Amino acid sequence: MSCYKVQRLLPLMLGSELSRRKIQAINAHLKKCSKCKQEYDSYVLSFERTRKLLRKNRQDWQEWEWQRAVKNALKEEPSRVYPLAPWPYKKAWAYVVMAVFTVVLALFIVRPSFIWEERESESEMISEIKKPPSGQQDIISMTIVSKETGIKIVWFFNKNFDLKEKK
Amino acid sequence: MWMKSEDEMVEAVLGGDKQYFELLLHPYRQGILNMAYRVTGNLEEAKEICQEAFIKIYRYLGKFKKGKSFKSWIYKITMNSTYDFLRKKKRHEDLLEYHKSSLVNAVRDPEDLFSKKEMKLKVESLLKILSPKERMIFLLRDGEGFSIKETSDALGCSSISVRTHLSQARRKIRERFEEVYRGRR
Repeated sequence: MSCYKVQRLLPLMLGSELSRRKIQAINAHLKKCSKCKQEYDSYVLSFERTRKLLRKNRQDWQEWEWQRAVKNALKEEPSRVYPLAPWPYKKAWAYVVMAVFTVVLALFIVRPSFIWEERESESEMISEIKKPPSGQQDIISMTIVSKETGIKIVWFFNKNFDLKEKK
Repeated sequence: MWMKSEDEMVEAVLGGDKQYFELLLHPYRQGILNMAYRVTGNLEEAKEICQEAFIKIYRYLGKFKKGKSFKSWIYKITMNSTYDFLRKKKRHEDLLEYHKSSLVNAVRDPEDLFSKKEMKLKVESLLKILSPKERMIFLLRDGEGFSIKETSDALGCSSISVRTHLSQARRKIRERFEEVYRGRR
């Protein structure tokens, strides 16, 4: 590893932010290069003294101030969770409504064959066609029954196919 | 009562058991105060920021995602409250100037002789050379002992960004340290 690369990585050597492989390579370099070693020692010294300064200069709450701050925060009610919050906070009813809506929308868009074919078969009006017995070719009757309304229509035809309707 | 995990305490607070709110915040009371204090350089302002942050934490507790780091979440709220505070006072852009002037005032102050004041001066002189983001990352990682992941979660940036800024901050601190302390020897 070159001096330039080592010196770039030195700040991250202080807090174990580098991979073990890089740390080993840098340590190997530091054993050989006194200039980089001196720079590393300088980083360690500044790092330790800065942390010491930060520790010594730490502030804290006075107990009464702390209690007052917490008490003030509790004056407001916490906000209610919105319906799309992650599980387990989500509201079950919101998801049931969404699921039903999605299914209805999907059925409307996809129109699965088993629904629409059944409706088509229901709309068929002709349920039965009665043919006259053989030998009586002069009159033919046809009965049509609607499954939806229950109306029964019987058509009679003579041999010239003139219609005589009877309800 | 002390054996509850943070997630359980959050649920308890949401369920109306308000006594757990203080227990939730207690481990971080010093940390968040010091974060705000390091950024503003003023203890009273830092307490004001923390008060605002506590209100937000309680208000939005229901939105905290279970299983995530509560520590990162409350530090993130505190950071945002700090930025909001600075923005309101139109001091965000003038932060460096603010630190410089407070340093000048501190030097003229007779209380400067006291070690506590001197200590503050040293910390400020080290931190003032960092950009706001570098300062935040440096304070969280090296001051509060956050991991890289926790720091990136708290600040809402990538871990690569955290490493880059941290490296830069340590380099600047070292240079400043040598300038201030070694030069006097």
